Amino acid sequence: MAGTGPVDLRPVFYPKRVAVFGVTNTPDRVGYNVLESILHGGFTGKVYPIHPRHEQVLGCKVYKSLEDVPEPVDLAVICLNQYATVKAVESCGRAGVKGVICNAGGYRETGDVGHDLEKCLIAAAEKYRLPMIGPNTLGMINNDGNFYSTFYPLKIPAGKVSIISQSGGIGLTTIHMAIDEGIGINKFIGVGNCSNLGFADCLDYLENDDSTAVIGVFIEGAADAGRFVRTAGRVARKKPVVVYKAGRLAEADYYTQTHTGSSAGSFQLYRDILHQHGVFTVNSASELVAACKALALQPLPGGNRVGILTHTAGPSVVMIDHLAPAGCVIPPLHEETVSRVKQIIGSDNPPVVLKNPLDAAGLGFSRPTYGGLAEAMLADDNVDLLLAVYCLHKTWELPAIELINAHKKYKKPLIVNFVGNWQGCRADQDFMQNAGVPLYTAPEKTAVAAAALVHYGMRRKGGNDRDD
Amino acid sequence: MTINEIVDHAVASGRNLLFEDEAGALLKAAGIPVNSCRVASDEDEAVQVAKETGFPVALKVRSRTVTHKTDAGGVRLGLADEEAVRLAYRGIMEKVRMIDPESQVTVQPMASPGVELLVGMTTDPQFGQVVAFGLGGTLVELFNDITYRQVPLLKKDATDMINSIKGSAVLKGYRGRPPVDINALTGIILKVSRLVEKEPRIKEIDLNPVFAYPQGMLAVDSRIVVCGNP
Repeated sequence: MAGTGPVDLRPVFYPKRVAVFGVTNTPDRVGYNVLESILHGGFTGKVYPIHPRHEQVLGCKVYKSLEDVPEPVDLAVICLNQYATVKAVESCGRAGVKGVICNAGGYRETGDVGHDLEKCLIAAAEKYRLPMIGPNTLGMINNDGNFYSTFYPLKIPAGKVSIISQSGGIGLTTIHMAIDEGIGINKFIGVGNCSNLGFADCLDYLENDDSTAVIGVFIEGAADAGRFVRTAGRVARKKPVVVYKAGRLAEADYYTQTHTGSSAGSFQLYRDILHQHGVFTVNSASELVAACKALALQPLPGGNRVGILTHTAGPSVVMIDHLAPAGCVIPPLHEETVSRVKQIIGSDNPPVVLKNPLDAAGLGFSRPTYGGLAEAMLADDNVDLLLAVYCLHKTWELPAIELINAHKKYKKPLIVNFVGNWQGCRADQDFMQNAGVPLYTAPEKTAVAAAALVHYGMRRKGGNDRDD
Repeated sequence: MTINEIVDHAVASGRNLLFEDEAGALLKAAGIPVNSCRVASDEDEAVQVAKETGFPVALKVRSRTVTHKTDAGGVRLGLADEEAVRLAYRGIMEKVRMIDPESQVTVQPMASPGVELLVGMTTDPQFGQVVAFGLGGTLVELFNDITYRQVPLLKKDATDMINSIKGSAVLKGYRGRPPVDINALTGIILKVSRLVEKEPRIKEIDLNPVFAYPQGMLAVDSRIVVCGNP
């Protein structure tokens, strides 16, 4: 953000009084939906809808203009067209509003005329040092303050993961995947065209936001990528940052230009330089959510040595494919662990592969046996974190208690991979995740979650941190 | 001349692309090992310099207008004796004099071949100054085995670059060949980073190839672009 010295963004994320410009009674308009979003989300502060011709919308009294609002507001959400938005920002600045969210598109992403209009918008915001989210954004959610300001009204579980997304569509994808994965969202910031508040500004804020423990970022491209990566690297020293960069191919650049007015830049430069700054990167929205979930739930491992316990070999093969390139190693088990495993399974049993990954085959279904094997592996000094694979079965139950107890006893990170469908494991997922153990239903997600934990575990030890 | 003075001089002469002898002097001042490169203004001087340099030598056109030297027929390599130098000089001048009557040549010794690497630097519109490293020579475009880091680089960044390219095994010795001098390579990468950090008027550096030896490195061909406004 331009100007000297940092601007306090707390009134933007934790407003007490909010004005909404452009509310109407038409449910297909952004103004209606943003107001509904705020009301439906359970906002406890005051809302002042503004429209020159309406009396009442969604049961709220409507004010003719900002001047008619009886008290100063902290935040204004501007749901007007791209031209009227510029004037509204100007009036907010004059009235001493502390922040604005501009939903309208029609700026630099549309070409030169829109770009000129956006310059006017930026100038209006900067004149009053008024922090601005957007334009061209889905909006913002602060679940920590029950403030929902997106034009897709939502009510989602609260948690410790905050998301910064350049795209509303991928933002919503991430939010809904997070619901499926059973994790709560703390804040969602749709940065849109990044005209005033960009990625780095939002990262700066979230760095010191106590309710945010993990930050997920979806980026198409940023004019100031250099500052973004440096900031991400610095913030990641304090709390994990996971970045999903899209726009891998030159063809995508045209679409990012016409989407948020940003050039995608070289995908390889982003990848290499994020790596340089010690930031964990992923290749899909589902990986983004999977990595954030594990980082939000689990402690960081003391090293990169991954133990895998399974009773079916395939998932462990898939996991190793993902883990090895991410710098994880699959260490051999101590002899002591091997004898302990032999003791647990007995001698006249089906064949068991006595190494890491430990494939307990047919015996793995038995809860006490599985729990004992998990404990044996967690007790092994060679193992820094454990991935436990278990298959959904008509008769056998997931050894949830056994795994939770093992995790508590050894205090090493544990990730459970339940081979089953979403409905079949939902109850177990909630149960385990309430106890702090993440559960996934796909080996690729389990592996990326493990890789994320290892990345930040190693970084915490100075393995991939920077001195500057 | 100091690094600053070399850039000042080029900018004052209205050139963005340094002559190769200027690039060489600049790199040398930055502590980067670079093949010797001397200017000759006529045929006799080219022979004289070649004798002092030691045969075989390479002759390259030195001109502010002929910037794609090879395409213009302005590069002759592996000249073994005085006669070869004279013929090469005349051959080059025949091709380039029409384009630039003030053309000169540079004389460089032919370096003994090593593993061909690329060390470079570019100014990205989004990330600013970025250092590049990869396998060099003519295969660079085919395999695109290059990795990038943002300036300033730390030693661990240089080490990480060397280890992260696909062809990393080539550097560590394969099929009985000795490994290349990793310390010297790390040094070149870091020196490029420090050089452009101190002199932001440098917009691009292309050292390709750098010959990597079991002991030491040598930048054989260098291209440096500067801009008056940093």
